[in-house]
Order: sequence, then C-alpha cells, then structure tokens
Amino acid sequence: MAPKYKLTYFDARGRGEPTRLIFAAAGVEFEDNRLTFEEWPAIKPTTPMGGLPLLEVDGVTLCQSLAIARFAARDVGLAGKSNLEQAQADMFVDEISELLPKMAGLFFEKDEAVKAEKQKEVEELIVKTYTILEKLSGSAGYLVGNRLLWCDLIFFNIASNVENLKPGTVQNYPKLAKSYENVKLNSRIAAYLAKRKETPF
Amino acid sequence: MAPKYKLTYFDVRSRGEPTRLIFAAAGVEYEDVRLTFEEWPPIKPTTPMGNLPILEVDGVTLSQSMSIARFVARETGLDGKNKLEKAQADAFVDELEEPLAAKLPVLLGFTTDEKEKEEKAKEVDQLIEEKLGKCEKLSGSNGYLVGNSLLWCDLVFYNIAYYIEVYKPGTLQNYPKLAKVYATVKANPRIAKWVAERPAGQYQYGV
Repeated sequence: MAPKYKLTYFDARGRGEPTRLIFAAAGVEFEDNRLTFEEWPAIKPTTPMGGLPLLEVDGVTLCQSLAIARFAARDVGLAGKSNLEQAQADMFVDEISELLPKMAGLFFEKDEAVKAEKQKEVEELIVKTYTILEKLSGSAGYLVGNRLLWCDLIFFNIASNVENLKPGTVQNYPKLAKSYENVKLNSRIAAYLAKRKETPF
Repeated sequence: MAPKYKLTYFDVRSRGEPTRLIFAAAGVEYEDVRLTFEEWPPIKPTTPMGNLPILEVDGVTLSQSMSIARFVARETGLDGKNKLEKAQADAFVDELEEPLAAKLPVLLGFTTDEKEKEEKAKEVDQLIEEKLGKCEKLSGSNGYLVGNSLLWCDLVFYNIAYYIEVYKPGTLQNYPKLAKVYATVKANPRIAKWVAERPAGQYQYGV
C-alpha cells in the first residue's frame, strides 16, 4: 500500500529536510519525491503557492515548509504533549528559523567581498540566536520538556549547517549541545543520517 | 479573578493585534498590557527572547507573535477543525505575516525620508501583489480562507489587509475572494465591536 504521505522537494536538504527528519524520528514511511531543477518549472504552476516543499495527504496538498513540518509533527506525535508545550516548541522553531534565509544567502553568494560581509553578519546572528536558545532551553537534554520533539530536529538541522560553517560552535552552548547530541544519537535518526545522501545544501 | 491570559505588547496593532483579534473573536477575556517605548528597556532583559509580544499563562511566558497567536487560536478553538485544516491555516499565516507584518507598518508609521519611502513602497507593492495573488488563488470562496468558519488565519489576514487598505485603499477589490474574507471578518459582531472600541494607539495610522 502506498505511504500516506508524499513529500515533494528538490534533491537537497534545504526546506524539505525538517519534515524528512520528523518522519524518520517517528519511524513513519513516506514517499520522498525529489525533483531536479529542470523538472521544476513545469510543475511550479500546479502548486498551491508556487513553491516547494509540498506534502500530499488525504487528497489535500499542503505548502509552506514550516506548516508542513508542524503538521507532520502533530500527525506523528512529535509536536508537544499539551497546548503550552506545543507553543513552546513553536517558539524555538520560530527563533531558529530566522537563521535560515541568512545562511542560505551566505551559501549562494558568489561575490567574495559580499560573502565576507555576509559571513560576519551570519556569525553574529548565530551567537545572538544560540544565546537566546541556550537561556530558554530545558536542561533534560531537549529544548522543551523531557523528550525529543520536532523543535529539537529543526535545531539539529540548522545546527548541522552551522557546524559545517564553523565546527565546534554548538559546544559553547551546553544545553543546546545536549539536544544536538540526543538527536544525533537517536537510533532512528542515526540510521537515517547514515543512509542519507550527501547534498551541498 | 484575574484573566487566565496576560498579553504584553506596545500600544500599537502590528504584531500584537492578531492575538487580540483572536481573543475578541472567541469572546475570551485577557489582560491587554500596553507598554510605552520608555517602559520597554528595563523590561526587555526579563523577556524570553528580548522582544514583544509575550503571553503569560499558567506560569509560562511565551514569545514569538505567531506562536502566541497559534496557541491562543488552539486554546479558543479557532485554529481549524482537523489537522489538515490547521496546516492549511498555518500556510496562509506563513505566507501573509512575513515580511509584510514588519515592512508595512514601518513604511506607514516610521518612514519620513521621501527617497526611503519611495524605495520601501516599491518593495511593499511587490510583496502585496505577490502574496495577495497567491492567497487569492488558494482562498475559499465562501468568505473564509480555509473551510467554512472563521479561523485565526482570517484574522491574521484581516490585520495585514487593514494596513494595506490604509496604504492603498481599494487594493482588495482586485482580489474578490480575499475581499469577501475581509468583509466577513469586518462584519463579525465581536470583531466589529473590538475594532470600534480598541485603543487608537500612538501613531497617526494607529500602527
């Protein structure tokens, strides 16, 4: 029987990886549809808002990467155990997500001089963001509450990119480092990461 | 007995107003704390992320305007009737709120230099066209963005659309389904009452 969920994104981590990590952590099967950049222009006008990722489920097509990730988290039980816990997880996701466009901008910048400027900006934003997150993080090895939630996966995803940029960054933030390690050591995530294809972004 | 929820923001609409609209639509009481800009600096370090709005409930302080709004929508039953509907509502909010929620009030209330105003207006015009275009395509035709009853995404839309109509009156007429959503929210008796009675805020356009 076909999986209940069909995720469509590019053959990259980018804005699709959070949802892939969520399904992986929950051990839930999904169709991982990866488009080439050549295939995309023809498909674009058929999408709800002209962007990827998309998630097709029960005859409905969802868009907006975080709305999709939050839906997947809720559906598989990784959103948080109460309204408050869910809101706290949302808070972390919102704060962490501010790093995404800046890091993408840096990654795709070709001009060396501009890149150096952007790198400085990104590094400052990382310090600012990680400091806020460290202050708010729980001490039980997870950002919120006492078990792995989608916010830990979202943090792990972005923090992995940060570690590529500046290895050892997360170690300066003990509580965040613990969440990062717990995701990395989670048996399902470890298995997923071992098999995951390497992509530039 | 003190209300269960305490919202703290500045005396403006902007990022606090979606939550106020949700409480209003649900008919749920809350403490609506409005700080002056002078009161803010000493309070800033005591907040979770150094910014507003914050929502205090059950001994927990939440931050991030849309996380707060989503939480209140869930608490009051205005987030959507099933998981799919909730995700569709989330998608509209994600598309509409950033970056217009930041750029439009700043353009209207805080930009005085003429050249800067012109540049920002160009950017905002493009964003408005892009986002309203996408949302018009996806919107329901019955006066609600999603499903068949008022949800928090309709209120987030209403808040942004209110600024758009102040900025360029008549814009919504180019987007019939969205115009219908706007009219539905405006006509909702609880919302109509709140809009009529809400504090005017500190700025000329009630930013």
